[in-house]
Amino acid sequence: MITQEKYRSKAKKLLADGSVKMVIGYSPGSTADRRRPLFVRSFEEADQLVLDSNCIANLSGYLVTEGLLSDEKRVAIFLRPEGIRSLNILAAESQLNVDQIIIFGFDSIGREVSSLSGEHAGEFSELISSIKENPPEKSSEPLLYQIEQMNPQERFAFWKEEFSRCIKCYACRQSCPMCYCRRCIVDSNQPQWVNTSSHTLGNFEWNIVRAFHLAGRCVGCGNCDRSCPVNIPLRLINARMAAEVLESFDHFAGMSTTQEPVLASFKKEDSETFIL
Amino acid sequence: MAKIGVFICHCGENIASKVDCTKLAAAIGEHPGVAVSVEYKYFCSEPGQESVKKAIRDNNLTGVIIAACSPRMHEATFRKVCAEAGLNPYLCEIANIREQCSWVHNDNDMATEKAMDITRSMIEKVKRNNKLQPIEVPVTRRALVIGGGVAGIQAALDIANAGQEVVLVEREPSLGGHMAQLSETFPTLDCSQCILTPRMVEVAQHPKIRLLTYAEVEHVDGFIGNFKVKIRMKSRYVNRDVCTGCGDCMVKCPVKKISSEFDCGLGKRTAIYTPFAQSVPNIPVIDKASCIYFKNGKCKTCMKSCQINAINFDMQDEFIDLDIGAIVVATGFQIQNTAGYGEYGYGKYPDVITGLQFERLATASGPTSGKILRPSDGKEPETVVFIQCAGSRDPSKGVRYCSKICCMYTAKHAMLYAHKVHHGKSHVFYMDIRAAGKGYDEFTRRTIEEDDASYVRGRVSKVWLENGKLMVRGVDTLLGRPVTIPADMVVLATAMVPQPNAKEFAKTIGIAYDEYGYYNEAHLKLRPVESSSAGVFLAGACQSPKDIPDSIAQASASASKVLALFSKETLEREPVVASTNEATCAGCWGCVLACPYNAIEQKDILDRSGRIIKRVASVNPGLCQGCGTCVTFCRSNSIDLAGFTEKQIFAEVMAL
Repeated sequence: MITQEKYRSKAKKLLADGSVKMVIGYSPGSTADRRRPLFVRSFEEADQLVLDSNCIANLSGYLVTEGLLSDEKRVAIFLRPEGIRSLNILAAESQLNVDQIIIFGFDSIGREVSSLSGEHAGEFSELISSIKENPPEKSSEPLLYQIEQMNPQERFAFWKEEFSRCIKCYACRQSCPMCYCRRCIVDSNQPQWVNTSSHTLGNFEWNIVRAFHLAGRCVGCGNCDRSCPVNIPLRLINARMAAEVLESFDHFAGMSTTQEPVLASFKKEDSETFIL
Repeated sequence: MAKIGVFICHCGENIASKVDCTKLAAAIGEHPGVAVSVEYKYFCSEPGQESVKKAIRDNNLTGVIIAACSPRMHEATFRKVCAEAGLNPYLCEIANIREQCSWVHNDNDMATEKAMDITRSMIEKVKRNNKLQPIEVPVTRRALVIGGGVAGIQAALDIANAGQEVVLVEREPSLGGHMAQLSETFPTLDCSQCILTPRMVEVAQHPKIRLLTYAEVEHVDGFIGNFKVKIRMKSRYVNRDVCTGCGDCMVKCPVKKISSEFDCGLGKRTAIYTPFAQSVPNIPVIDKASCIYFKNGKCKTCMKSCQINAINFDMQDEFIDLDIGAIVVATGFQIQNTAGYGEYGYGKYPDVITGLQFERLATASGPTSGKILRPSDGKEPETVVFIQCAGSRDPSKGVRYCSKICCMYTAKHAMLYAHKVHHGKSHVFYMDIRAAGKGYDEFTRRTIEEDDASYVRGRVSKVWLENGKLMVRGVDTLLGRPVTIPADMVVLATAMVPQPNAKEFAKTIGIAYDEYGYYNEAHLKLRPVESSSAGVFLAGACQSPKDIPDSIAQASASASKVLALFSKETLEREPVVASTNEATCAGCWGCVLACPYNAIEQKDILDRSGRIIKRVASVNPGLCQGCGTCVTFCRSNSIDLAGFTEKQIFAEVMAL
């Protein structure tokens, strides 16, 4: 509650003196434990802002809404550490100018919400480094551990079963802050690389292409996973890719606003285990 | 409506012995859009090519498939055939049914099936091919020659004498390279300096040659005909423009005991120095590491002695940017660090020396004025043992190759020794005598028969000092017994190795190298002087160990390649280049980073009032090499490669 009040008054102050044109935060949702995004444009609306442990969605994707930042005015946004990492990637990929973004950083342990110190992207580098150095316990993702123990055939069968439910609604894409392309590859039909119908081949194509597009970019915010209407554990694929790039290239997504994309940059010390 | 002609080549037996070409031609003839499907023994032959042209004209073909060998082999041949028959050459594709089919399969039926799949797949591709026009790029008619040894000198002179501009870059203070260090040269025994120094002077005075000594290539960008090169002019601390080379500074310099690199440690030099008396340009440099002023801020004796104030201790490195059309790499070699041969006592016994050190002893301009004297006591050696392959052809020391020149120079050394020390006796340990070259075998025979060198076939296991004599223990494999020869001096025929920074430098200019660091030619037999990068040519020992005649021949060959390139004002380039879709580009700049040729730049899309609507990636077709790296990176599929468009590749895949 203290953190919520602190940020409410900060939002009021920034909106009142015109230092930001909008605050992107959370408001109560359709059920008691759901929160929906709130776009606060005026001083009065700021009282609707809610901040508690149920505020889990990564809101950074809203920043790249076409035209939002083109007037060069500033926007404040509530971000968890993963959200700050997404923001760094968006800046590194030239999708926004971080100088326009004021961060209302927060994190939660249990039901306890705490604010993060700093309000500009560059001020969180120590926090992000410590997340890199102290990865979550394996036991926090029992399913991931379980999948990794499977042999390739079992794993293939597992994902085939999971993907069989995919209805190609692309909610994962829409909710992902990294999926900002004006035209997604699946919307390109000359040629139609990814089969649009919802059968095994097309479902595999889509989900594998997305996993590759997120290699070295996914921060594990879980937006895709939560938005999936058929509950495919998408975060696990991306977590696996993130672990691969970390191990192979020591690349931890979203370290800074100048981090080079892992798949487009080359370092002499890169391991070349894939060259036989 | 597509009218595709398919021409199935037997390649003699190469394809026909595994692939049933008649069956293939019949099956392909049924494929939608195929107007002609024929087979022939050799389509690359004159009548074969004529039959393709005739079929194109007679049937108004809209595309051609040559089902034959790899496109690397004959794509250019058949594209030319199509162009001559009036068909855009980029409407011709090769279906590789030799390297990728007949050569690698045993089962005839399955090979035939696979050949059908490969051919069908290419037919579907060619249906979607676009007519492409070659890209014309201007050629900067200025060559860069890197390395001022004999190969670089020859290449520079040949290009300049044909009227084209040359920039010659040498990292040492003087031109000359290793050849300037040599005494006399086999097989004619002309004095090395006497034949080299006039050419060095010619380079320096040539109106078409810009000579940059004590300079290094820092950075190379661009592509054939249009390289951008950055040169670092290392600070000499002596003004090149005013120094007259009088040498007063060198006489006055108080630091006189520095081991001379040019004399391989057998002579001494000062801190301000020229490598040798005939240096070109005859302008000294200050060796910062040895100079007293740079060590403790006091001295400047040379500055006081200079009557024209040419010395400037505040001089900084300077950079020169050059537009260059072609590059000749002639960076030469080094000799192997002989310290690896502990058993021969190099470094431990002063009278065990390398072949290059012997050259310095034997040359009139050397530290002993041409007298063969022992480094230890300055006495004339009565017995000299030469050990060949002291490094070469020895996998345990990391050099598996033959250094090529050692058999000849060892024979020359034994001969020079016999001429200078009449009562002396020389012994040569050898593995084989490799004297292939004009007048070479006659030369080694002369050493053995007229100059009384005793050749012992076998290796040396150990050299040790006993009662003032170097005891050389080896084996005479022809007699099958060990031999021990007491010697006054031992000369090691050290291996030639690439320059220590050869691999790093190859990365700077973007050429390939082998496991040792020698630069790779584009084709060992057919394109021996071209590097793997277009517009970069190789000359001399940077490619492989070479003697002087070979280095010069290769340098002249490189020069002729450069001149052929400079014979036209523009250069035609393959139109296989990438282009971006500005409507869908998300502007993440991954492609900009991924492009190995820096061919992609950011482009602003403006509205009518000049405001930026968005920024997108844009490919410079002049720089693009068509590698496709950007295409694979682009997440929104906003980049396409002409000649390999997504539609073409997709159709190819779907036809399988």
